Amino acid sequence: MNVALKRVHERESTLSDVVSKYPDVPRLIILKIDVQRRGVHYTRRALDGLDPAVHQLRSAIWCSRDGIYTDTNVPESLLLRDGTSIVVESVSTDKEPYLVDLVDGRPALIDGDEVIEFVEFWEKPRYYDLVTSSGIPMKDVISARPQRLSILLSTVCHFGKNSCLYCEIHNNNKTKGRPVRPKLRMEDVSEVVREALREEGRFCTFCITGGSILKGQEVFDREVDLYIELLQAIGEHFGSRKFPSQLVASAYSEKQLRRLYDTTGLMSYTCDLEVLDPEKFRWICPGKAEAVGGYEVWKQRVIRAVDIFGRGNVSSGIVGGVELATPYGFTTEEEALEATLAEAESLARHGVPAFFVVWVPRPNSPFRDQKSPSLDYYVRLTRGLERIKAAYGITTDFDDYRRCGNHPDTDLSRIR
Amino acid sequence: MNIQLSEELISLFNDATAFKALATIDGESTPNVVTGRLFRISEEGNILYLEHLESSRTNHNLVGALWFERQVSIAVQGRRGENYQIKGRPVKVHITGTLFQKYYIESRAILGEVDLSGVWVIEPTEVIDESPLKRQAEEEQARPFFRHLDRFCKSDN
Repeated sequence: MNVALKRVHERESTLSDVVSKYPDVPRLIILKIDVQRRGVHYTRRALDGLDPAVHQLRSAIWCSRDGIYTDTNVPESLLLRDGTSIVVESVSTDKEPYLVDLVDGRPALIDGDEVIEFVEFWEKPRYYDLVTSSGIPMKDVISARPQRLSILLSTVCHFGKNSCLYCEIHNNNKTKGRPVRPKLRMEDVSEVVREALREEGRFCTFCITGGSILKGQEVFDREVDLYIELLQAIGEHFGSRKFPSQLVASAYSEKQLRRLYDTTGLMSYTCDLEVLDPEKFRWICPGKAEAVGGYEVWKQRVIRAVDIFGRGNVSSGIVGGVELATPYGFTTEEEALEATLAEAESLARHGVPAFFVVWVPRPNSPFRDQKSPSLDYYVRLTRGLERIKAAYGITTDFDDYRRCGNHPDTDLSRIR
Repeated sequence: MNIQLSEELISLFNDATAFKALATIDGESTPNVVTGRLFRISEEGNILYLEHLESSRTNHNLVGALWFERQVSIAVQGRRGENYQIKGRPVKVHITGTLFQKYYIESRAILGEVDLSGVWVIEPTEVIDESPLKRQAEEEQARPFFRHLDRFCKSDN
């Protein structure tokens, strides 16, 4: 047996163990991480407590419940009383998730017999009930988070069989009978944006992303063209040259970045390195590694973007914990944490913050049978990444608790 | 333990001309006081504080207070000399949703070109009547040693 396969999960610390161990990390953020890690299961009573007229439910296009794609409507996600979002998947009870049940008529997170915390379901924006003039439900054109408009340019990734091993886009697209979103039309985007902006105080940013598109004279040229078209369609609604927005995309050349910045209202750029180690990157993200010449080239492209977008407007996301995947990942959490934080610091030296999402092995991904690291690991990763950002004076306003809500480390930046 | 605010206090919070100040502390106990902000009272009797700046020291301190269970203090002074201090715990912040949007629109109607970061829910835990004459009477009754001797003298001494 490969040595890496022998990684043993010791008895895991409980939520209260970890909360006691790290008094400088807010309990609500630790809870968020644990809920994301373990997932949630909505009781029938909780689902009966949903009000489709008020609450945001998952669209059939994006919906999964208990790891199976279905058109069953479940809450989009949860909100804690400090305004922290928990972007979380519904999983089956055999994975020992937190339960979401109604307690005194209010949704609450339950673990065992204990009521851990009351939560809220996200409220849906008004445009979710409307249809574009071309007949498409607006919620299928642009999805919403509590304060953000999210646009997925393309549900296809050209990496195909070489897709990242934690990602399930490629396999999902091969699944027969799965509802597929129609191709994004700029007229529809523009119409939905106009409608969304009519709701005062509802949104404060755009997040735009999609699968990598390799076509073009230079690799990613076509992807850049499409994002420019999309951003210009959005920009028609604003009186200012720039508007709060984030693009999460492939690693572009300086020429492509310059074109993107100069011709659109885009304010920030995120290029995800996914795992902060060249070897692990080559194994886990083979398509990315091959596209432009490996980890170092991706890294240098992210760093160069600071010259164009400015410090505090460029970042790199990682799938926190995937560095411990078997069989070629780090074999101990100590080793993984040390390497990840060292590389995050090397990015920060150039003004690029790294932040993470909690890795949850997706049911349709090659890593489906793997296990996320411990809660203790994630808390140390959260604290470590935030300390690096603070030490180098880097802000992440474009991807914080309000404008994204999916990065525990940028949640901590709220008090900085 | 949270307490009910009196009708007089609720009126003071709703009175735009009454003076109000919010004091918070950061993780090092450094105090921070702001005045001239908008407060409301919720249907449940909690104090709502409308914070317009995401990056303000007050906002940071309120987040810290909610996360690490620190108290805040609010001073309220009316035109007729009413003077109260309310201690409380921030228990929730609305950063989105119906209530947030209501106060976003209301804030802009009152203050003009402002944004809204959050509607903080502060549960009152203690109300102290800080009217100077009342506080003096209480002290003289409960702590008679805390006076200078000349105040005890005969008027013809």
